Amino acid sequence: MSDAFLRLHDVTLRYGRTIAVEKLNLAVSAGEFVALLGPSGCGKTTTMRAIAGLLKPSAGRIVIDGADVTRVAPNKRDVGLMFQSYALFPHLTVFENVAFGLRLRKLPDADIKTRAIQALASVGLAGTEEKLPKELSGGQQQRVALARAIVVRPRLLLLDEPLSNLDARLRLEMRSEITRLQRELNLPMIYVTHDQVEALALADRIIVMRAGRIEQDGTPEVIYAKPRNEFVARFVGFETILTAARLAAHARLPGPAYAFGWRPRHVVVGTGPYQGHVRGASYLGETVEYLIESEFGPIKAEVAADAPRHGPGQAVAFDLPFARAAPLAADLPA
Amino acid sequence: MNARTRGLLLLTPATLFVFVAFLVPLAILLAGSFQRDDGAIGLQRYVEFFADPLHQEVVLRTLRIGALVTLAAIALGYVAALAIVDLSPTSRARLVGLVTLPIMISPVARTYAWIVLLGRTGLVNNLALQFGLTDAPLRFLYTEPAVFVGLLQLLLPLMILSLVSALENVPRDAVPAARMLGANWWVVFTRVLLPLTRDGLATGGVLVFTGAITAYITPAMLGGAKILMLETLLYQRVNVTDDIATATVITALLVSMSILAKLVLSRLAKGRSK
Amino acid sequence: MNGRALQWTALGAVLLFLLGPFVIILAAGVSDGETLTFPPEGVSLRWAASVVAIAELRHAFAISFALAVLSTLGALLLGIPAAYALERLDPPGANIVRAVVTSPLVVPGIVVGLALLRYFVIPLGIGVRPALLASHIALLIPYAVRVVAASLRNLRVDIEDAAIMLGATPLQAFFQIVAPNIRNGVIASFILSFITSFNQVPVSLFLSGPGISTLPIEMLARIDFTYDPSIAALSAMLALLSIAIVFLAERLLGLSRYV
Repeated sequence: MSDAFLRLHDVTLRYGRTIAVEKLNLAVSAGEFVALLGPSGCGKTTTMRAIAGLLKPSAGRIVIDGADVTRVAPNKRDVGLMFQSYALFPHLTVFENVAFGLRLRKLPDADIKTRAIQALASVGLAGTEEKLPKELSGGQQQRVALARAIVVRPRLLLLDEPLSNLDARLRLEMRSEITRLQRELNLPMIYVTHDQVEALALADRIIVMRAGRIEQDGTPEVIYAKPRNEFVARFVGFETILTAARLAAHARLPGPAYAFGWRPRHVVVGTGPYQGHVRGASYLGETVEYLIESEFGPIKAEVAADAPRHGPGQAVAFDLPFARAAPLAADLPA
Repeated sequence: MNARTRGLLLLTPATLFVFVAFLVPLAILLAGSFQRDDGAIGLQRYVEFFADPLHQEVVLRTLRIGALVTLAAIALGYVAALAIVDLSPTSRARLVGLVTLPIMISPVARTYAWIVLLGRTGLVNNLALQFGLTDAPLRFLYTEPAVFVGLLQLLLPLMILSLVSALENVPRDAVPAARMLGANWWVVFTRVLLPLTRDGLATGGVLVFTGAITAYITPAMLGGAKILMLETLLYQRVNVTDDIATATVITALLVSMSILAKLVLSRLAKGRSK
Repeated sequence: MNGRALQWTALGAVLLFLLGPFVIILAAGVSDGETLTFPPEGVSLRWAASVVAIAELRHAFAISFALAVLSTLGALLLGIPAAYALERLDPPGANIVRAVVTSPLVVPGIVVGLALLRYFVIPLGIGVRPALLASHIALLIPYAVRVVAASLRNLRVDIEDAAIMLGATPLQAFFQIVAPNIRNGVIASFILSFITSFNQVPVSLFLSGPGISTLPIEMLARIDFTYDPSIAALSAMLALLSIAIVFLAERLLGLSRYV
């Protein structure tokens, strides 16, 4: 971690009395793609804006490439930011939007033209140079925003929920576009999102945030399979979470943990030591999703559609196998 | 330099200007109304002001004309606004433009039209003479009705525009829904439209009432020295007799009446909506 | 008569009441008669020509025009930064400042004129022209702040941040990104302010001096001893001028959105 390209040391941001981010420590290496994942209000956007320089930390230091930039103005940081709303300049053509940063850098006109056109081509928008942003579709506007951010060759690119305004198909397309550009440019990126699927698909490393603090920092594989505590587990899709204290009355625990969590597809339906009633069943194509009323409360289970089916109201046996459970630590006090 | 400091810096020139060239002189003028002739603080100037029967008459007339113009503007305003919001968006915009137009035109020019109409050889007198309704020209100018009509024409657009924007926010189905439930026109108006447009009504009411009581041009042109209102009285007192004592009291009255009208009407707008 | 027809008739009557007087002014202004009568006697532009020939009126027009242009510029110069600060920079005491800069709207014009004359112009020894200008600027600042603030509110905040992230200074971001996008609002504010100042009477009443009078005040002064159609002709010309400005502005920018 000593070769980190970006480092946050004990960064705190306060608005009046509320603390948005508290003593945050973070390191991103050169070329790394990091996702800041968390629900709204967790401090992920605030953290990103502090890295950009648009917000000043109340305490702590931000170091980029070995230089302390905590007091450096955002326009001097050489950090790119792609906005959730695209934030294209409505009065400028697509070409001028992309050329804006280059013109500020006082490059020769010929260079500006080559680089802007090349950047537009690299996001698949060749030929739209003379259009106004409002004449483009949402997905195209998104690509202009991306081209505009990368054309100035920032040393770090921040992306603020860039896909949240796109429909599902475009989102998939943009996702692979962003991954490709990241590899091509070898540009360190920080990607802010509340969507775990996006974070898993895109990032080398995921940082889960809550209430201004980091809950877990790990590879997508680790976050997905081994969430550290109940909060992270719930956020990445563990629907059934039971404390060890509660489970101890029914089963022998495999080891020390505060709680255990299961995803719906970890739950076994049809056999097992526990009894419940089916309260609802939804056919999802490949699988069937059950809601089972039990002594543990409602349990969500997802089983293959070709398994024997159970109708609403029926009594059903089920199991919460420890072999597939994730042991969880207690949450930090929020 | 952070954003707040920069903000303060950008605000300072305008704020300072308004302060020095407006608020401070106004405050001194207002404070003067509480100064007694011996220099001490007291209500002497108010007592003397209201002791004069002419002053009482002018205050009452100002309030009366203000109230009548406001009521008439509300009635005509609803009639016009209801018809306007019934139109297609294009014609609605066109009519709103037509209603806005008079606001842009010099009030002196607008009021002069009434002199042409109501003067001794104006249209109304000519018609009356022609049809034998009268033997000699009637006097319309320099009467209270003339001032009333002039102010109404001047201020009505403000009420119509306020009501149009309020009616535009009424849910499209509110009126048909009420009609389906068997409500007649009057019930629809008082129980559905009036409560839903109370904000616009209050906004328009404040604009029209304060516009009427603080008008200068119309009472000066159509009321003259006979039908004085507070502003024309103030001008006369200062310009003819240099009576600054009376002027300070009128200032206090005008400012407090404007503020009071605003408070009462905005309370009315919020008050009864459930 | 059914409800619909009644409604349209009523609307027609209201519009006649609002707009009819302009037709009358127009007709009276082109009368060929010696006295102001209606219906007019014949048609001629001689009274319009006679008004233009009066030196005092030409002088008053020039003063009103210059006053309107300068006070509008002054109000925008002071008002645009204030509107920007109020909308974007969250300055301390924003609500008090907003109340202060919009206060000239709620105070009767004649009171403004009198207060300025007694406690600003006389004590500070300010001349008539700067006094008129100062009073009109104070009067117009609320309009400038309101209209510009409204256009800023319609403009996304993050495009400024985007410009800054691309390397622009706050000033570059304002002039290259914000300014072009609020241009229409500023022009609309300019027109409204110009018309407000040009037509203003009560504020200017006490602040006009010998030889320095604005056009509407000069007109008011002449009404009492003018029995010919010249004032009607002048009124008609002013009305046509305003209509032309408003029509052009509406065509170019959709002015009514800002009123």
